[in-house]
Amino acid sequence: MLSLENQFEENVLTTKVDWLINWARLSSIWPMTFGLACCAIEMMAVGAAHHDLDRFGAGAFRASPRQADLMIVAGTVNFKMAERVKRLYDQMPSPKYVIAMGACATGGGPYYKYGYTVVKGVDRVVPVDVYIAGCPPRPEALLEGLMKLQEKIRNSSVIRKPARTA
Amino acid sequence: MDFQAIHDRLRAVAAPGLVGADLPRKPDPKVKKDKGRAGDPFVIVEAQRLVEFLEVCRDDDRLKFEQLVDLSATDPAKDDAQLWINVQLLSLKFRHRLAIKCLLPKAAPSMPSTVPVYRASQWHERECAEMFGITFVGHPDPRNILLPDDWVGSPLRKDYEFPKEYHGISCE
Repeated sequence: MLSLENQFEENVLTTKVDWLINWARLSSIWPMTFGLACCAIEMMAVGAAHHDLDRFGAGAFRASPRQADLMIVAGTVNFKMAERVKRLYDQMPSPKYVIAMGACATGGGPYYKYGYTVVKGVDRVVPVDVYIAGCPPRPEALLEGLMKLQEKIRNSSVIRKPARTA
Repeated sequence: MDFQAIHDRLRAVAAPGLVGADLPRKPDPKVKKDKGRAGDPFVIVEAQRLVEFLEVCRDDDRLKFEQLVDLSATDPAKDDAQLWINVQLLSLKFRHRLAIKCLLPKAAPSMPSTVPVYRASQWHERECAEMFGITFVGHPDPRNILLPDDWVGSPLRKDYEFPKEYHGISCE
């Protein structure tokens, strides 16, 4: 960066493309308005004033998957719903992220053994970035999950890493 | 009216299909391993004549069961050859209730639909149909109500076997 110093006029900042793009992405992760079961109640609590998801730039719940960056799978996914979840995921524009919230979305939860219609984890249908434990998770846990996702985005890169030579 | 009075009335009007009544009782200490019976008293009705029976319950001046509260099914045990149909009726006018039970053979459970008498039973019958494999003859809309349309098997039957996969999603 040294060579760029004092090369431009005032009010011009220099930065890395990676940093800028990641900053833009992680600062406005818009989730989809999408709840499947009781976890959705906690998700709504996170969106409301007390926990205030908006502080992280993720409070704009979009009613359309075409405007959303993040799918919070909040609740039990059954086979009938799984196909709809997949379709919604496919309709989201890239880059897109998925949070599996709670025990059901992570691995079937209490329905693992006798739930004949419950998918044993939403990761069998769509790729999941962050798993959150709990039944349901506390609102703080969802915030933690969102921050983990932000961390993941912060460490991503648009440029392919050069192959290491031994 | 209490249960006994309702039962007497049903006998008096010769309600079609009425088989008998079952009352809860305390365990008999003289009989070994007798558990008695808990729960509400109910009448037993022939499944094939349930529609006519319900018609009497609804229209009789002294009974006037205007509402069908619930229609459900039970699979009591794996080695049992029969299913139960349970119906709950409520009269708002006289503030009395009635529980009805019917027996259906597990091999080919089929009975006339009760929708012509109580339209409220539409969704209940659809649920019983998909969960227990019961055919309600004459149902106006016999689609699945909860399960996907292409679901195989009757999940609430005791001999139900869980699917291995559904539309490429593994269930193991």
